[in-house]
Amino acid sequence: MSDYARGDDKAFAIVYDAVAPRLEGYLRRHLRDRSLVEDIIQQTFMQMHDKRGSFAAGSQVLPWAFSIARNFMIDTLRKSKRESTADLTGGDRSPVEALLVSAVENAEQVVLAREASQRMISVFNGLTEHQRAAFELTEGDGMSQAEAAQVLGTTVTGVKMCRHKVYQKLRAVLHDSAENDPSGPPPARAAAAPFGGT
Amino acid sequence: MSLSPELREKILSAAHRAPAPTRAQAARARLWLFAAGIAGAIAIFLIGGGVRMTDRPPSLVALTSLGTAVFAGAGSYVLFTRRGRSALRRPTVWLLLAALAAVVGFLLLKYSLSTAYGRTDIWPERVGFRCLRLGILTGALPLFAALVSWRGTDPLTPVATGAAFGAGAGLGSAVLVDLWCPVAYLPHLLLGHVLPIVVLAVVGGLVGWRLLGLRKR
Repeated sequence: MSDYARGDDKAFAIVYDAVAPRLEGYLRRHLRDRSLVEDIIQQTFMQMHDKRGSFAAGSQVLPWAFSIARNFMIDTLRKSKRESTADLTGGDRSPVEALLVSAVENAEQVVLAREASQRMISVFNGLTEHQRAAFELTEGDGMSQAEAAQVLGTTVTGVKMCRHKVYQKLRAVLHDSAENDPSGPPPARAAAAPFGGT
Repeated sequence: MSLSPELREKILSAAHRAPAPTRAQAARARLWLFAAGIAGAIAIFLIGGGVRMTDRPPSLVALTSLGTAVFAGAGSYVLFTRRGRSALRRPTVWLLLAALAAVVGFLLLKYSLSTAYGRTDIWPERVGFRCLRLGILTGALPLFAALVSWRGTDPLTPVATGAAFGAGAGLGSAVLVDLWCPVAYLPHLLLGHVLPIVVLAVVGGLVGWRLLGLRKR
């Protein structure tokens, strides 16, 4: 991006190839409509192009691109009222639920896993926008806490606190599931593993 | 799902069709706009009367004006520099604290220096409205220049950034008002010298919300 900001027009294609797939992954978790995702990606890159003069040399492009895309996404969600987290409560099976369900073998465990999954979804729905975004950016998009802090316009401590609160709530849900499960440790623990530790 | 190659082509050709200013061009435009804003502020200051020493000790004028200028410079450094390798500005809390520090810091500096020189007497005929007007007018132009220069570049903290720009412009105007006005009576200071900083910070926040941000309001 620094080269592009300096005037090397060919560098924009390199920026696109590096950033667009990451943005797509992030946006797809919130928007199911492919055309909306592509719309936001287009708006984001046109904004990056338009404001390349304000991009300081040596800066990180990813948090900048994510914060722009996030703005456009919030606008789009407000406009269309299509928030993916609301969809998670019904209709298609969520990624969390799919992961939980695939990890169990018998019907009782499926029921328990679904209950745990529903509780986890309700936890996610009860999170503040900042808590959810901090968790998604660090766990879902693989950003460092410092990068997530930049995207959200907060401090690293702020991101740490958000993550801590999310983990606390998830632990409480998983603990309840463990107590209700007669066959030992719940499969939900396996589902929590990809999120890493606190 | 992977992105279609058509989208890539569409974006790249759209960018190619409408070239955007490079960093050097943007910096040059920003510099000119800023210079025009500051020149306008100085013109208003000179039309309003310019430097008026009256019976103030030159060392007091130098200390308060230079102190405020250094304070404004340090604040601007924090504002305009990035956080590490980020292309984004500092967190909201930092920006709002910078705006608040501008108001409180200036008042403390001005009043403590004036007290040390024994020049905080009451001036009944100088309530502070002329200083208020001069402060707002001289600060408005650099603030407008800053907001226009950085329009549409702040996806995260447009209100806080605008408020911090306003407080910075207010501090700059406070230097000029201080060169013009000898009064350091506390109510006068609050109305004529400090209120312009607050007004400009609020205006900066409101205008910044619309001008600096990306979201459609």
